[in-house]
Amino acid sequence: MNSITNIVDIDSELAAQSPQEILSYALENFDNIAISFSGAEDVVLIDMAYKIRKDIQVFSLDTGRLHAQTYRFIEAVRNHYDIKIDLVMPEAVKVEKLVKEKGLFSFYQDDHKECCGVRKIAPLRKQLLTVDAWITGQRRDQSPGTRAAVPAIQDDKAFARPDDSLTKFNPLANWTSKQVWDYIRANDVPYNELHDEGFVSIGCEPCTRPTGPGQHEREGRWWWEEATMKECGLHAVNISK
Amino acid sequence: MKITMVKKIFADGSPCKKCGEIEDKMRAAGQLERIDRTVVADESNDQSEGMVLATEHGVDRAPFFIVERDGAPTVIYTVYFKFVKEVLNAETSEDDEIAEIMNDVDLDFL
Repeated sequence: MNSITNIVDIDSELAAQSPQEILSYALENFDNIAISFSGAEDVVLIDMAYKIRKDIQVFSLDTGRLHAQTYRFIEAVRNHYDIKIDLVMPEAVKVEKLVKEKGLFSFYQDDHKECCGVRKIAPLRKQLLTVDAWITGQRRDQSPGTRAAVPAIQDDKAFARPDDSLTKFNPLANWTSKQVWDYIRANDVPYNELHDEGFVSIGCEPCTRPTGPGQHEREGRWWWEEATMKECGLHAVNISK
Repeated sequence: MKITMVKKIFADGSPCKKCGEIEDKMRAAGQLERIDRTVVADESNDQSEGMVLATEHGVDRAPFFIVERDGAPTVIYTVYFKFVKEVLNAETSEDDEIAEIMNDVDLDFL
């Protein structure tokens, strides 16, 4: 199903549908599919998916640097839904090498990419080699600069197995933060206690901070790095006719 | 087999850094000789050949590679290391592959 035409056609159909409908489509069309759970408000995906299919696969990247509150939250979600959550961890050898060479906070001096490469990307890549499709909590409103065009479904070329395809679903793409929180409250979904302390976007402890009124959630992540547009994108505004 | 590389220049005329880095890497590895055509996607001109190809193939990032083989569907590669491995049959290191992914992926949802 992963020809460009098919993905584009399916996306144009899914784009107007609700997150639950997108999830239903994903779970009906893929048996070997997993939800990537960050330990933040993307918990709504687990709640929605669990109401569709009880045997959902869920994984979280345990970078070793998460807040204690996030670990408690992951455990609370596991118990609340009585599901397995695979904690995917980085290779100890690679973490040891990074820390030995550069210390525990090298990302404040260079940037977060090297550390994220070791603690997030490498383990994520390994995990995604085991599935045919994955589901993320990406939303367009999380980063107007770089995520404005997040589709409901996409062909994930970066993490696909060699000579194979991997399908990525973003059921919350069109939802706003407010819609997510309305859902959490209306459905008594458990949430990370850090949200009550002003955290909006939640990642590793050293790289996440609370944001205040009027601040965009992206200002709570890697705030010491210059906020620049990702330059690899071909900006659609110039492509449109 | 015919390989077309599409690289980008910004609307202000400056070159895309990633495109330049990949081109340098390919030059050093002798891989540029395998590219039949290089065309430019000029962000200031949506009728530039590269922008038209991006629209035609549903591509939203650069650089990308169009691989055409007789009797087979055209394949688009937006990930350099996959292109190198699958088309040029060359080796890439895991560190380089992860570094490329890092440049293309926003990580705040993980």
